[in-house]
Amino acid sequence: MPTVNNPTEKTLAELGAASREEVARLFAEVRTRFDSQIARPQDAHGWTILRVLWLGRKGVVTQITENWLKPAPLELKRVIGESLNSFKEHVEVVLADALAASEAGAEAALSAKDRVDLSLPGVIRPVGTHHLIRQVFQEIEDIFFSIGFSVVEGPEIETPYYNFEALNIPEFHPVRDDMDTFYLELPKGAPGPLLLRTHTSPVQIRTMEKRQPPVRVIVPGKVYRRDNPDATHSFMFHQIEGLAVDSDITFCDFTGTIDYFVKQFFGESVKTRFRPSYFPFTEPSVEFDVSCVFCGGSGTANSGGTCGKCKGSGWIELFGAGMVDPAVYGFVNYDPKKVSGFAFGIGIDRLAMLKYGIDDIQAFFQNDVRFLRQFP
Amino acid sequence: MKVAYNWLKEFVDVTAPAEEIASRLALSGTNIAGIENGAHGTVIDAEVSSNRPDCLGMLGIAREISAIYQLPLKHIAPRPAESRSAKASDAVSVKIEAPELCGRFTARVVRGVKIQPSPTWLKNRLEAAGMASISNVVDISNYVLLELGHPLHTFDFDLLRNHSIVVRCAKAGEKLKTLDGIERSLDPGIPLVCDADGARAVGLGGIMGGGETEISFSTKNVLIECAWFDPVAIRRATRFLKLHTEASTRFGRGADPEMAETASRRCAELILQLAGGELLAGVVDVYPGKRAAKKITLTRAEFLRVMGADVPDKDLEAILSALGFAPVRVDDNRGAANSLLAAWECTQPSWRADVEREIDLVEEVARIYGLGNFPPRLPVARIAAARLPHHEAETRLRERLIGLGYHEAITIPHVAEERNDLFRPPDAQVAKLANPLSEEASVLKSTGFVTLAGAIEWNLNHGQRNVRLFEIGRQYRLVDGKPVETRVLTIGATGAAREQGLYDPAREYNFADLKGDLDAIGALSGGFRWEDGGPEWLNAAKRGTLRLGQEGNQPIGAAGLLAKRVADKFKFRQDVFLAELDLGPVYCMFYGVKNNRRYEPLPRLPGVERDFSVFLEDGKTFAEVKKAIEALGIPEVTSVAAADLFRGKNVPAGKYSLLVRVTFQSREATLTEAQINDFSGRIISALEKTLGASLRAR
Repeated sequence: MPTVNNPTEKTLAELGAASREEVARLFAEVRTRFDSQIARPQDAHGWTILRVLWLGRKGVVTQITENWLKPAPLELKRVIGESLNSFKEHVEVVLADALAASEAGAEAALSAKDRVDLSLPGVIRPVGTHHLIRQVFQEIEDIFFSIGFSVVEGPEIETPYYNFEALNIPEFHPVRDDMDTFYLELPKGAPGPLLLRTHTSPVQIRTMEKRQPPVRVIVPGKVYRRDNPDATHSFMFHQIEGLAVDSDITFCDFTGTIDYFVKQFFGESVKTRFRPSYFPFTEPSVEFDVSCVFCGGSGTANSGGTCGKCKGSGWIELFGAGMVDPAVYGFVNYDPKKVSGFAFGIGIDRLAMLKYGIDDIQAFFQNDVRFLRQFP
Repeated sequence: MKVAYNWLKEFVDVTAPAEEIASRLALSGTNIAGIENGAHGTVIDAEVSSNRPDCLGMLGIAREISAIYQLPLKHIAPRPAESRSAKASDAVSVKIEAPELCGRFTARVVRGVKIQPSPTWLKNRLEAAGMASISNVVDISNYVLLELGHPLHTFDFDLLRNHSIVVRCAKAGEKLKTLDGIERSLDPGIPLVCDADGARAVGLGGIMGGGETEISFSTKNVLIECAWFDPVAIRRATRFLKLHTEASTRFGRGADPEMAETASRRCAELILQLAGGELLAGVVDVYPGKRAAKKITLTRAEFLRVMGADVPDKDLEAILSALGFAPVRVDDNRGAANSLLAAWECTQPSWRADVEREIDLVEEVARIYGLGNFPPRLPVARIAAARLPHHEAETRLRERLIGLGYHEAITIPHVAEERNDLFRPPDAQVAKLANPLSEEASVLKSTGFVTLAGAIEWNLNHGQRNVRLFEIGRQYRLVDGKPVETRVLTIGATGAAREQGLYDPAREYNFADLKGDLDAIGALSGGFRWEDGGPEWLNAAKRGTLRLGQEGNQPIGAAGLLAKRVADKFKFRQDVFLAELDLGPVYCMFYGVKNNRRYEPLPRLPGVERDFSVFLEDGKTFAEVKKAIEALGIPEVTSVAAADLFRGKNVPAGKYSLLVRVTFQSREATLTEAQINDFSGRIISALEKTLGASLRAR
């Protein structure tokens, strides 16, 4: 506390100080007094009071300005001013540091009972999830959308014309044996047979019937094959069909597009290859393989044995595709001499199973909330 | 098709290891299922696609390898010794009455054979290919089938009546006991091989021989049949008979008619070698289906148009030659190598019925040259890409539902008819399957309710009692025999709305949760109108129908508590809430509402709230209260809300207590106490007059 006999309440003349040396001595005394006061420990409130006493409107620093500096003779003004600034800075820094240290100490000292236990959960507001199949659809749609593919849809209940004939699969074609088909029971007199589409390819035909080239679409949807259900077969599953037709689409454009998609989906390091294959509605037809994402294409599992996912081949067959067979254009009145294009059909469920290591396709359609929550 | 490595080498001098051959085959179009190293050496398991019946024999696979490695193919030219005195044509006659089913039929006769077990080498070859050994003559016919890819059949010559073969259509009601001992009913359109001038069936042409004329250990004389049957006729027949054999697979996909005579000769040669006897001179060969080889032109321009990158002349010609297409340059620039104007005239080989067009030749060249040699590039997009028309609406809807705590479900639409009927509106015609896999999956869902209830059932049966699910799927119905697929949203919830936690007690999901969640999504489309009623599979006291837009619009859905009668069928022991909305109008309104939405300036002056606590008779609704207040037409009333609802203590029987909170707000000036008292007075008297409400407190 400032003493009653406070020298800063008096002018220099009253104190009888007229030389530089005496001014220096007075500042030294004030500084010693300040340092001795702040040496005593204070709480935050104490520091605030000290701040008022030294830096406040009627504090010591103001007193020095009013009593020492202002009335001082010209020859001493400079030295007093310099000393005052230096002292003021000292007070400000020391008080600010002391106050900060005091606050930190106060918080640390708060009792443990008020402290949150970070290992306890917060208030849980249950949030739902996108179905994994939907997530994969969305990811693939976004990749193809980014390179100019529009999204279209089509009916799941189809006619044999769209599902087979217009795709160059006439009746009794051997390929029909590989696509065991569900048919609908129709009331008497109803026109034509109806079936559940065995692939999303009918939407190729429906799209080309409606639009002239250039056509660039993808078709997500459900498809049906009459297979007995097991861990790798479901009689309903999902495909995404792709179709690009233009005046100048070549096989190189096709492989480039597929390559781009797969690297976006599985990562740049994945290797790809196209194997010749056979589908009635594409020619040349290919099966598309990627290097096994489980063993990195080595064919050897981490445990040292043969990789079970690619059966040691280092490759995984992903989907079938190819250049649109010119015969298909005949069904939609495109001129096969003027246009060319490619088509592909990706099995979504299989892709999701591969990417996330799911070993039972049925898990997708049971909708067990424990399964759904695993893919937020 | 199991391909034994050492057998393959009889047709092509390939030195590469089996693994490499398998890999090269796979990359040129023959899928490889695996490689086995067994007792009979290395065997490659090739999965031949249905367009390549020529590869269902060693010769065909060898031809592929000769093209891949550019090695010569060793052709086969059997020259069995023939009798000098007896002629086949004197011993047997052949007549084809159904040339549309049977394009060629050859017959050879070997006399005096000795039927006995096959030698070891023959047994081993058959075994490596997965076939059982029977006797030398039968084994030889199977061996030739595997070697040349062409099916044959051998008859006990002496058991054939009249030695007069007739190939004709089966007659309706006709029966034949095949080699496997099964008596089969036939259908017109099935090709039949008959003896006795057509009187007796002795074989299903191209599929399986008859039991009465088969080779036995007492057989002395053999007739070798090697024919060609129409692929479509064979596929029809196998489908009708549900009978698939090695022979029907090859004929059904298209065998080589020119090969029939060669294969017959090869068979005779091996019989003489292993069973002895004498081959009658010549062959009886009836060939009504003979066709001139087709010419197909391949141009470099077309190759480039399809493939986008080139193959040099030398490689292109070598590939086509090795595959048997005999390419000849026919363009005016013949002298110039790799000319852009180059054109080749090719000849379709008899074993490649699948190659008829220029595009087929493009594929042949490309697949052998290697698809990896065509550099990938991204094509330029020339049109803008568009999402589905409802993309934004559906995305917003889905996000909101997920935010509200619902997991997205995907269900299989096949359900039991009995179950489907629990939720089927009486006027909805069910889409029934003609060939379901089971009763439990015999119809397509008429509503989304049925499969979502099924998903809840699964969860409850697996210990998950708190379930909130939604599905954006389709309803499948027939309208006048035509299929109609309608996009619907189905919501299902059961169990705790809030689980017991550290900070809050548990609370069960109830109708108000369902209504609140639906209103949260309804807000995207301008809000739902709730009205009494709903389908009878929902509890009559806890259900409602929903409408969008103006009063009087068609209902677009229903929501409520599953009725006990239906819940019992699922054995649900807790309340299950369900809702379903037709998404067409929801999406339509979403865009309408969104495009008409305009900014409303925020009020600068504070609003004033007043609470009115009234007793109402049971049955009087909040909507009536709201309507009565709004009917006063006080412009300063900006909101009428139900703040609390109470029945029981201190409330007269038959009544309930409702706390109505009214917000007054003026855009012009601060409301005075007098104004507010005036509004309040008018509200109270309106409620008293129109609803018989009594004011409880204020």
